Amino acid sequence: MSLIEAKGLRKVFRQAVKEPGLRGAVKHLFTQRYVDKHAVDGIDLTIREGETVAYVGPNGAGKSTTIKMLSGVLVPTSGEIRVDGFVPHKQRMENAVRIGAVFGQRTQLWWDIPVRESLNLLKDIYQVPEDAFRRNLDAFVELLGMEEFIHLSARKLSLGQRMRADLAAALLHDPKIVYLDEPTIGLDVSVKQKIRSFIKQMNRDKGTTLLLTTHDLGDIEDLCERLVIIDHGRIIYDGSLQAVKDAFARERTIHLQLGSELEDPSLLFSDLPEVGMDRTGPDRLAIRFDRFRITASEIVKRIITQADVADFHIDEPNIESIIRRVYEGSLDLELAAESPVAASREA
Amino acid sequence: MTRTTLSVRNTPRRILFLYRRLFGQQLKAILEYSSDFYVMIGAAALTQIVGFLFLWVVFSRIPVIQGWGFWEVAFMYAMIYFSEGVGSLFFEGTWRMLRLVNMGELDRYLVRPMPIVLQIFCTGIGMNGIGNIAIGGAIIGMSLYHVDIDWSVTSVLAALVVLASALAVRIGINLAANCSAFWIRTSGNAFPIMVHNMGEFAKYPITIYSLGLQLFLALGVPFAFVSFVPAAVLFGKEDWAAYGWLSPLAAAYVFGIALLLLRIGLRRYESSGN
Amino acid sequence: MKKYVSLAVCSMQNTLSYRLSFVLNFLGSFIALLATYFLWRAIYDGQSELAGFDWNQMKSYLLVTFFANSMLSYYSESGITNKVMDGTVAMDLLKPLNFQKARLAESLGSCVLEGLLSALLISVLAIAAFGIPMPVDGVSGILFAISMLSSILVKFGIVYCTALICFYTTSGFGVIWARMAVTNLLSGALVPFAFFPDWLRNVAMALPFQGIVNTPTTIFLGMSDTREAILLIAVQWFWIAALWLLGRSMWGWAVRQITIHGG
Repeated sequence: MSLIEAKGLRKVFRQAVKEPGLRGAVKHLFTQRYVDKHAVDGIDLTIREGETVAYVGPNGAGKSTTIKMLSGVLVPTSGEIRVDGFVPHKQRMENAVRIGAVFGQRTQLWWDIPVRESLNLLKDIYQVPEDAFRRNLDAFVELLGMEEFIHLSARKLSLGQRMRADLAAALLHDPKIVYLDEPTIGLDVSVKQKIRSFIKQMNRDKGTTLLLTTHDLGDIEDLCERLVIIDHGRIIYDGSLQAVKDAFARERTIHLQLGSELEDPSLLFSDLPEVGMDRTGPDRLAIRFDRFRITASEIVKRIITQADVADFHIDEPNIESIIRRVYEGSLDLELAAESPVAASREA
Repeated sequence: MTRTTLSVRNTPRRILFLYRRLFGQQLKAILEYSSDFYVMIGAAALTQIVGFLFLWVVFSRIPVIQGWGFWEVAFMYAMIYFSEGVGSLFFEGTWRMLRLVNMGELDRYLVRPMPIVLQIFCTGIGMNGIGNIAIGGAIIGMSLYHVDIDWSVTSVLAALVVLASALAVRIGINLAANCSAFWIRTSGNAFPIMVHNMGEFAKYPITIYSLGLQLFLALGVPFAFVSFVPAAVLFGKEDWAAYGWLSPLAAAYVFGIALLLLRIGLRRYESSGN
Repeated sequence: MKKYVSLAVCSMQNTLSYRLSFVLNFLGSFIALLATYFLWRAIYDGQSELAGFDWNQMKSYLLVTFFANSMLSYYSESGITNKVMDGTVAMDLLKPLNFQKARLAESLGSCVLEGLLSALLISVLAIAAFGIPMPVDGVSGILFAISMLSSILVKFGIVYCTALICFYTTSGFGVIWARMAVTNLLSGALVPFAFFPDWLRNVAMALPFQGIVNTPTTIFLGMSDTREAILLIAVQWFWIAALWLLGRSMWGWAVRQITIHGG
């Protein structure tokens, strides 16, 4: 049985529409208009224990809303959720002891008391046995380097310190699932590193299931095995991260800086329709190709027949660029399984 | 590594324990960081004293108001402030609900294995409550001293029941009114403050009001049970003392509505998103 | 000058959009009026006059007090205080606006709405329930109107200076509550001066608060002749000027605090 099961999940928000100015203000006294926003529009999601899932999408796609429904903060407009057999917003107590949450922008800690005291409070709230508490606390302090700030109040912490403390707080009671909503936002590289290795270790040692929403694609590569992409409230891709990478293992992009004018470069590759072409500047071209079908040197050879090449470099695909293209709509991941370059068309 | 999932049961003992823990931490934090609560305590005390002077000035010209003497009215007056003080000192979080709802700070409450109401209550401490409790308590003490009361075991018990219910009613009204935060998003807590101001009526004997208003204060927003009914019971006003039996019911009624509103409100809660 | 007018209009707009907050605040003070009305009615039960006031005069007194208090209500006052406390002070240093004048403009803006709502309510009450005598004398009427406008300005002076105190204590609402308590007593809002013991009345007359309620009510009820009325108005204006200057120097001090300590 899966740990998390969501079926047909929907969340609709109503927003009031107001006109500007004094006229609008008076009008608003008498008539009010509302608009329905479908933040989440029919999502099915199944997650098994121990999985590490990246939940990705552009701003406003519905990521946070989904997480909030799964964690019991929001009540779905329609649809079903079961987490470890419990309905989060109905069976709050049972759900709460099984999960940990880090909501990136807001802290779980008490603002004016030392972090250590916050953790003590959480120990009492979750009724963590003394020995488990000691064990976890010592491990977390060491892994996250908390010694330097554990006696400070949350108010005084830097963002990186606060995030580490929040992680410790979320995992203190050995939850089965951890929801991480933008956990590394705004952090510098070294702190991100610490946090990622910490999370990896939790997943490895304790089998903690992980659901991570993030814009940081480095997080995804480092931590997650599964990738779910959401846009406009719907899931547009749900599969393993590795499969995506494999699909693009053959893709390369060569960036050319031309020394002279080139009218219509695509004519040079009319025999290879799957070669993708973008003008990235006045004399710059980005050419995407399948390296098993045509080599980089062959491409340059053809270009040189028509124009000078002043400079070039070759990119390997990374998750970042792939996902960005999915957001922009210029990439269809379903199609990509068959032919990566073919999928890179205007959607 | 096998994991034993925790399970938590919210027994009354655990709730009291958690309340003490959370309250203690808040208190420590406030004492360390805010030094300006003396102003608030002073202001609360000042407000009450000014009102008390008003009563004194009025009663210097007339002996009774509809059969109620100076100290009896002073008692009612002080009960309104005293109960407000108790609400501020021990249950201040209720007044922060607008902020909790609008800033999405309820999120973390919803994810913890602890009753939401408890977490709401412990969100803050209103030190001004000390001023209200001190002055209100003093005036109540003086009124009990000045008025002839027949003290016996039963009357003491009745007094305790009625006073405890009075406090419960006050806090329940606060909670119910503040649940409006889920529906009314405007800044400044306007609705709960308006409901709180209805307590003005209960500073004086409710017999001076029209029948409609009296019914409202007894059955609608039962402020009558915060001041008037305790006064009637303590000072042996036979016409009204019998209502003392209804005090615990009034408390249950108010809390019932408050918790219902909270439940409905949480269903509608939208958090505040990215 | 134009920018201040548009500030006033903007303030009115804001009030309309936060109308719920505005109306609820208003209802709150109306509740206080109701409670006080019933209390006095019970007090006057069986008495024809107290301290020189008969029941009709008392009713008028309550209504005029209500009208005076509804201007620059708690809603407006918290607006000013919030601006003082949230750092707008520092931001406003960058704008070509005088902070004091700007707040006055905004207050007057919402006063228009507050006054309208209050006058509406009073008229309804007067017709339906209370039945109050109006001052028939044309001169009294004009003097009353002047004293009422002056009362608003006096109140602004007090509210503004109090808000700047909040800047120093950073505890917003405590200071405001204290001010409200003191003002209620010493303005005559709680109880007419005639009820005070002599010493208290003398203290109250020497302070600015009486300009808010005592002056307009005295003129309205015809309890002063024309010469006295003009004198009272002059005193109001003395305080308006004094409080304005005090506000200005407090503001200057606050600005110095920011620029030295960085806010």
